[in-house]
Amino acid sequence: MATVTASAPRALPGGLLKHRAAQKLLLLALVAAILVPLANARWASGSWPAALTVDLTKPLTSASNWIIDNRDSNPLFLYFFGYISNAVVISVHAVYLVLLAAGWAGVTALGALVAWRVAGVRLALGTAAAFLACGLLGMWVATMQTLALMVVAVLVSVVVGVVLGLAAGLSDRLDRGLRPVLDTMQVLPAYAYLLPVVLVFGMGVPAAVLATVVYAAPPMARLTALGLRGADKEVLEAVDSLGATAPQRLLTARIPLARKELLLGLNQTIMMALSMAVIASVIGAGGLGDRVYQALASVDVGAALAAGIPIVLLAVVLDRVTGAAGEQAGEESRSLRPWLYAAAAAVAVALAGRLAGRLDWPDSWTFDIAEPVNRAVDWMTAHLYSGVPVVGGTADWAGHFTTWVLNPVRSGLQGLPWWSVLLVVAALAWLIGTWRTALTAVLAMAAIGVLGVWQPSLDTLSQVLAAVAVTLVLGFATGIAAARSDRFERLLRPVLDVFQTMPQFVYLIPVVALFGVGRAPAAAAAVVYALPAVVRITAQGLRQVDPAALESARSLGATPAQQLRQVQLPLARPALLLAVNQGVVLVLAVVVIGGLVGGGALGYDSVFGLAQGDLATGLVAGAAIVCLGLMLDRVTQPTERRAKKGA
Amino acid sequence: MNVMDKPVFSVEGLWKVFGPKADSVPADPGLTSLEPAELRARTGCTAAVRDVSFDVRKGEVFVVMGLSGSGKSTLVRCLTRLIEPTAGTIAIDGEDVRAMDKSRLRELRRHRAAMVFQHFGLLPHRTVLDNVAYGLEIQGVGRSERRARAQDVVAKVGLEGMEQRRPSQLSGGQRQRVGLARALAVDPQVLLFDEPFSALDPLIRRDMQEEVVRLHREEGRTMVFITHDLSEALKLGDRIALMRDGKVVQLGTPEEIVGSPADDYVREFVRDVSREQVMTVGTAMRPGDCGGTEHPGALAPDELVADAIKVVARSGKPACVVDNGRCLGVVDHERLLGVVAGTEPRKEAA
Ligand SMILES: Nc1ncnc2c1ncn2[C@@H]1O[C@H](COP(=O)(O)OP(=O)(O)O)[C@@H](O)[C@H]1O
Ligand SMILES: [Mg+2]
Repeated sequence: MATVTASAPRALPGGLLKHRAAQKLLLLALVAAILVPLANARWASGSWPAALTVDLTKPLTSASNWIIDNRDSNPLFLYFFGYISNAVVISVHAVYLVLLAAGWAGVTALGALVAWRVAGVRLALGTAAAFLACGLLGMWVATMQTLALMVVAVLVSVVVGVVLGLAAGLSDRLDRGLRPVLDTMQVLPAYAYLLPVVLVFGMGVPAAVLATVVYAAPPMARLTALGLRGADKEVLEAVDSLGATAPQRLLTARIPLARKELLLGLNQTIMMALSMAVIASVIGAGGLGDRVYQALASVDVGAALAAGIPIVLLAVVLDRVTGAAGEQAGEESRSLRPWLYAAAAAVAVALAGRLAGRLDWPDSWTFDIAEPVNRAVDWMTAHLYSGVPVVGGTADWAGHFTTWVLNPVRSGLQGLPWWSVLLVVAALAWLIGTWRTALTAVLAMAAIGVLGVWQPSLDTLSQVLAAVAVTLVLGFATGIAAARSDRFERLLRPVLDVFQTMPQFVYLIPVVALFGVGRAPAAAAAVVYALPAVVRITAQGLRQVDPAALESARSLGATPAQQLRQVQLPLARPALLLAVNQGVVLVLAVVVIGGLVGGGALGYDSVFGLAQGDLATGLVAGAAIVCLGLMLDRVTQPTERRAKKGA
Repeated sequence: MNVMDKPVFSVEGLWKVFGPKADSVPADPGLTSLEPAELRARTGCTAAVRDVSFDVRKGEVFVVMGLSGSGKSTLVRCLTRLIEPTAGTIAIDGEDVRAMDKSRLRELRRHRAAMVFQHFGLLPHRTVLDNVAYGLEIQGVGRSERRARAQDVVAKVGLEGMEQRRPSQLSGGQRQRVGLARALAVDPQVLLFDEPFSALDPLIRRDMQEEVVRLHREEGRTMVFITHDLSEALKLGDRIALMRDGKVVQLGTPEEIVGSPADDYVREFVRDVSREQVMTVGTAMRPGDCGGTEHPGALAPDELVADAIKVVARSGKPACVVDNGRCLGVVDHERLLGVVAGTEPRKEAA
């Protein structure tokens, strides 16, 4: 009886949905029936018609040349961008000098003491160990370079984010304006931010810091606004009822009430800043990312790993410490004294290090892992790459994946008539969303054609589709398993935690070791990067299914498989759609970075355009990446999510 | 209570309409006569408070009662313009509240009227003491002074020893004591309560009601008390305004409401009240002289019928109702039973 009444009301919207879906498709077919013959008659070609492209190379090249020529003379650059650039360079350098002056002992002590105050003894030990490991790996200086850049970038991001967040949190009008922009920035690959800043600032630290700020500030802004808006209405009413002025209301109630969100925003901003600071090595950020980048360029896995491990350690430590700060929000005492002791202790250690003449990490204390790692990789290359009995070698797998999956998908996509690609995009986006999302998606896809990068974009798209398919199969299977078994979930959780905190860049290292270079490794890195989020969202969605619905199914004697198919999966549909959306966004972010390890296509165009000073090619590729990201997000963005966000 | 005292709050023709073009509703006789559902269908507006008038006298507990959605919260918030009224006048001590500018309004909220909320509205990141001192902090009172004053109030509401706790470490009743203390700390002329005890368990609710009765007895502060609970209204209220769909359907003493309901709605509302706990012998008596000067079982006119029943049952004889040595009337078995049964001759509603 229970299921009968439960399913009856659900049948109605379901039927309605199908009905509406059919309507949409019918309408689209009608439009297509009129437009396609017209378009086909005019520009009959499989690929995007040349007549419909606009060559931006010339204007972009001349623009970039103009900027390069005028950087030292034009007042805009001299008095605005120049000042920004100088300020960034000076502050990064200042932080770097302070870190060096504190010496390795001072920095380690400071890190550990901060972690101790914020998160307890265990994380303090972990932090100290992480810093020492950076030194042991011979990466002390590189770590400090990255840290200096991060400190400046995070400070600026937080200021920018908080200011924007305050604006959006306090004014409905600004919120309506900012929200779609921030939402969109959230789904764009980190890579896409690099080229525009290079156009203005040239390669180097200022560009890296600014790209990092642009990438890392949005979460701070979003969460600040969210926290301010989420405040308990009655508390604010109580504050008003006591006659508080607007500034009093903000400072004594709204901001403290949003403390949890603010700290979560800080956490996300720091993690995104680290991720970007590493990727920005491509535009001259230096530091750890640069070591990885150089090593990967020469396929030196050992050296890449030596720089990659500190990145991972830094990521885990930063995430845990800032996360712990968020959890403690509101509980800790306000006393300043322990902080003073901690600061004094750190200064004492730094001075001791200075007096002992041991500021720099001693060379004799480093341990070169590059060589043994490379030996292991060589052994792997010799023994595991191919010809392993029964299972085949890793390179064989990569080869097969390329031959049997990537190539057919790519040639299939590129062989499709251009208008049919647009039609498919429109149909998918409209079915899952509204006509607005469909329009955005189609326009984004068309823009790719107009930019004249239809073929490489479809190449990137084919990698994304293949990687997403693998991610979803693995992710859903693991997610279902994790939802069904508590033990498996407990085992999985720490693994997911670590994987979700790692910057995108480091995923390239192990795949190069395993699969060499090419499109398959790029796709593999994307899969590994996107998998944790998909697993997590799937498991959570399944676990949150109404227990009453499950119980009634069980009481009717449904088998576990039936329960899953008939109750859990349908009810978890919104979560599964969100998992698809996240999977697509994350996969794209890494697939384009895969251009660095032989992924080719748009990722390659944008970096190597950059490396060869051919900014125009790079910018066009970057714009295509943005369009692709926009299109993929809209095509997979369920309407429910929009509605919930709007509420 | 001196009725001639100037009222603390004087509300006249108050309207609050939510929705598009709300301003036009109170002015349009065609719309004001509509039922709420019709009005919403026609204009998309909700009239939460409709043409309400009343005075709150100095020192009384003025209760506004009604079912959920009847507009009580909106009404009480209009008094200090936490919600901006749409039409009508509100005066506090004769001063027009709707004409106040920002700073004057702030002064009103800081010193003259403080509010206690249903879900407490405490600041979770502050200790009990700092929550209680919050109103004083807003006013700019120095740290040591406001703490000292807050400490006094904390003691007054029975929270000693919990000063350093956070709201999350308190029970619901204790939290509302903090809410009450925060309002008391600013020493306001009027206390406004918006269903302060609705979120509490019944036993704790009773404690808190007694706390309010005690405070009122000790300090005599004017109170406006919102509730949806009839027994709470009868227990606390000197006068009760009963609201329905934004309108006040009856305003009177508990005895008037119970004894002479204005219409069927009110009658239905008070049907299950133990009338002997509300009605007084002054209403129940048969007027006239009892003869003689002995006044057997003499009762004061404001004595509850429940107490009179005890006296009459014990003596087995009718009792006299005596005020200042003058006999006003007599209550006997028949009269008293009539009250309990709800069949006594009704007076018209005041
Ligand atoms: N901000 C608002 N916007 C629109 N309608 C409101 C708003 N606040 C209250 N209302 C409506 O006004 C009516 C009275 O609400 P309220 O004063 O909260 O009633 P009560 O406190 O008696 O439960 C309700 O119908 C409610 O839906
Ligand atoms: Mg209410």
